[in-house]
Amino acid sequence: MRFHLIDRVEEWEPARSVRARKVTSYSEDYWEEVDGQPIVPPPFLFEALCQAGTWLIMNTTDRRKRAALLSVDSVSWLGHVTPGAVLEMVGTVDSFGEERAILSGHVTADGVTVLEASEIMCALIDADDLASADETERLQTMINRAGD
Amino acid sequence: MNDAVGGRWATLDRIVSIEPGTRAVALRNVPNTLAIFDTHFPRFPVLPGVLILGSLGALAGELLRQERGGRWELRAAARVGFRHFVQPGDQLELAVELSEQSEAGAVLKGEAKVDGRVVTRARELRMARIAS
Repeated sequence: MRFHLIDRVEEWEPARSVRARKVTSYSEDYWEEVDGQPIVPPPFLFEALCQAGTWLIMNTTDRRKRAALLSVDSVSWLGHVTPGAVLEMVGTVDSFGEERAILSGHVTADGVTVLEASEIMCALIDADDLASADETERLQTMINRAGD
Repeated sequence: MNDAVGGRWATLDRIVSIEPGTRAVALRNVPNTLAIFDTHFPRFPVLPGVLILGSLGALAGELLRQERGGRWELRAAARVGFRHFVQPGDQLELAVELSEQSEAGAVLKGEAKVDGRVVTRARELRMARIAS
């Protein structure tokens, strides 16, 4: 599967905040079953918030940097997410430096909070070391189109 | 022993040992065939830390299930550190240890190592029973 858990960045303020969206569909191939019902694997909800943070970092640094997860002070899962839900990831920057950024935030599914996390610390690493600049730019254009 | 605990994402490939009420150890292999490496990341494949955390939660759930029955879920984690990248070819050795438990929940700590080196440490894994 493509591990791209953000469809769109809806709103962002450089080095300050981000609001992003992912739609879920049964046609995706990540579902796991709990009590006979498909749910988004809970680690994916946390990853989606981290990826919203990564796009904030890429937008803020004009794609020079992206994030690698270093630590999290706390993360709580508050509910399951079933196919068809629309996820919204909201992140607020606690600190943003040359080498590290810290972000806190939450994820909602159809308006209901399903995950909260505080002080997600990530290392800012050179984006070119992880993916080609062309591909990253193409994705960024797609993902940011809602905010244009 | 159930070797399919954790499923496709919070995977545990083998349970090595379970000491009910105390600790559990399991293995998770990280093969280059995982499709996730196509995008995470094309030039530098890394197993997402959130999936290592998921595996620690699955192992904690299995330890609790074997002692107390039912099904357990990771509800929260605190003070989690991701110290080194985990890459294709690595074998993760996962260990969890029970810190405290109550009727409906339990707190454990967990650690993941590759070749004896700690790659991920979770000081608190908060588990809740979701089915009896």
